[in-house]
Amino acid sequence: MEQQGLRMTEIKPGPSLFKRNPPIAGEAEAIESAKAGDAEAFSKLYALHKRRVYTLCLRMLGNVSEAEDMTQEAFLHLFRKIGSFRGESAFSTWLHRLTVNLVLMHLRKKGLNLVSLEETINPSDDDAPKRDFGSRDPQLTGSVDRVALERAVASLPPGYRMVFVLHDVEGFEHNEIATMLECSTGNSKSQLHKARLKLRELLRQPEQSIRQAGLKEAAK
Amino acid sequence: MTSQNSNPKPPATISCAEFQEQLPDLFASGGSGEPEDPCLVAHLKTCENCSALVRDLQYIADQASLLLQPTHEPSDNVWKKIQEGLNSDRTDEAGQNPSHS
Repeated sequence: MEQQGLRMTEIKPGPSLFKRNPPIAGEAEAIESAKAGDAEAFSKLYALHKRRVYTLCLRMLGNVSEAEDMTQEAFLHLFRKIGSFRGESAFSTWLHRLTVNLVLMHLRKKGLNLVSLEETINPSDDDAPKRDFGSRDPQLTGSVDRVALERAVASLPPGYRMVFVLHDVEGFEHNEIATMLECSTGNSKSQLHKARLKLRELLRQPEQSIRQAGLKEAAK
Repeated sequence: MTSQNSNPKPPATISCAEFQEQLPDLFASGGSGEPEDPCLVAHLKTCENCSALVRDLQYIADQASLLLQPTHEPSDNVWKKIQEGLNSDRTDEAGQNPSHS
């Protein structure tokens, strides 16, 4: 089944994406074999990339079942279209862009309008980051581990989480995010800043509060 | 406020709210959060709260790279379904090209 609108073209990634997606041993050979229809090569490419693709889907969707469905869709698209991969960008960059586009299309189909982040998925007043003027709280530096950060990211409102994952984790530039989300670059910058403010607020709270925020987000 | 000596004119003072309004652009496109505007630099030097905020936001952006290494793994069922999809593709192709053997 062909999904309309899915961009399969290779767009040259920014420098951060090259840095974050170095070549993987054995990948180039597997790609060439997969282009020739070698089932073993498909299996190898899946093994090499399944965790990162699935993690990306899970972070964007916040739901295991949907994340597995999108992982399946992403690899099926990959294997059907691998003949069009010309190696002009890192394979993982190409795959991650394909995955992001699939997830965004899925969210649009579900009725989540991504055209205007501010208007459609702007969090409620309760969820919005608090203004910081004048507060004197403990600093975060050196105190945040991966598990705490993962939990805090999962509890972000969807619009904030989307931009934070795409920019700070996956390394997409604001202009790329703006194109993918069909919003302005300024909107992307603003959402990212609010996401980081919200994360700061969450990470300075006791762990129990972050869990409660995560449950609240999951229930939406 | 008037200048009472020959020192260069100090940068205009700004409030925390004005400083924090500039933060999205300071951090955009891989920026370090270190401002170049003298007004912002002066505020950052004297405001403990805003300098802590900048340090924390930079720290969060840096720590985000921790999440690049994936920790989650899809269930085995995902690969089974992908294989089923690929097999179905092959069957369809064979059906469309019956002379192909």
